[in-house]
Amino acid sequence: MNVIFQSTYYTLYQANNERCFYLDFGQKTVRMSLCQLLSLRHKIMDIHIEDHFDGDLNSHGFEVLMLCNKEHLFILNTLEILDLKNLIENGFMAIGLSAKSKVLIQ
Amino acid sequence: MKDIARQSMSIKVESMDLLNGQIKIEAHASATYLAMASWCEQNGFFTSAKFFFKQAEEEREHMMKIFNFLVDTGGNPISPEVTDINHDYSSITDIFESTLEHEVKVTKSIHNIVKKARQAGDIATERFLDWFVMEQVEEENTIRDILDMIEVTGTEGVGLQMIDNQVANWIE
Ligand SMILES: [Fe+2]
Ligand SMILES: [Fe+2]
Repeated sequence: MNVIFQSTYYTLYQANNERCFYLDFGQKTVRMSLCQLLSLRHKIMDIHIEDHFDGDLNSHGFEVLMLCNKEHLFILNTLEILDLKNLIENGFMAIGLSAKSKVLIQ
Repeated sequence: MKDIARQSMSIKVESMDLLNGQIKIEAHASATYLAMASWCEQNGFFTSAKFFFKQAEEEREHMMKIFNFLVDTGGNPISPEVTDINHDYSSITDIFESTLEHEVKVTKSIHNIVKKARQAGDIATERFLDWFVMEQVEEENTIRDILDMIEVTGTEGVGLQMIDNQVANWIE
């Protein structure tokens, strides 16, 4: 397995022989197809982190994240969500699906 | 390292995000035209109602075109949430003026995606949107023509009924 990107809490791997990705959440490692990774990206990008600083909108400061068609459930705090956002953004740059990467490298 | 990601998906995620945004805009347009059809029906503009029922269908087709493009390119198309549909209009002129305003917004949004796709070197997305660019020219033109017709006909006396009858010329 090749490491694609490592953030503070999480690591994204690519498994060449299985044509898929692995995301190490610390407590658990989750196998993901690209579709599932895209779906995670969508969920993560949809989270308004500002709501965590508003007692009415998100009083507890946690997010419940269900992945891979409800196979996995994670409860993440503000710092973990921020870190996951970072991992997703940089991960997609590293696998070449984000336009942001090449512009910076070239 | 094998390029599994590129082999599974042929456009950039930024383009995908913008196209998902456009899916939402087309869905919103479709719902808005349905609301306009409802207004026209309730206010006795039956030909205009027909026109807007057809527009609503067309906007849904636009949405599905983008949806299927995201399927074809291995992206993640998102079924849109449609909210805030206005049902209140002061007149038939108000309806068509709002329509033109709406179409101009849609055109701007499409042009923005074309520019971003070009910047990102996403040729597939750029070329895919060619059809939408030309479609918008046509749609804007149709509504402008109808507004010109309203202006010429005038809304006094039987004017309103004449306006409604003439809208038939723009229903294919
Ligand atoms: Fe449209
Ligand atoms: Fe349109």
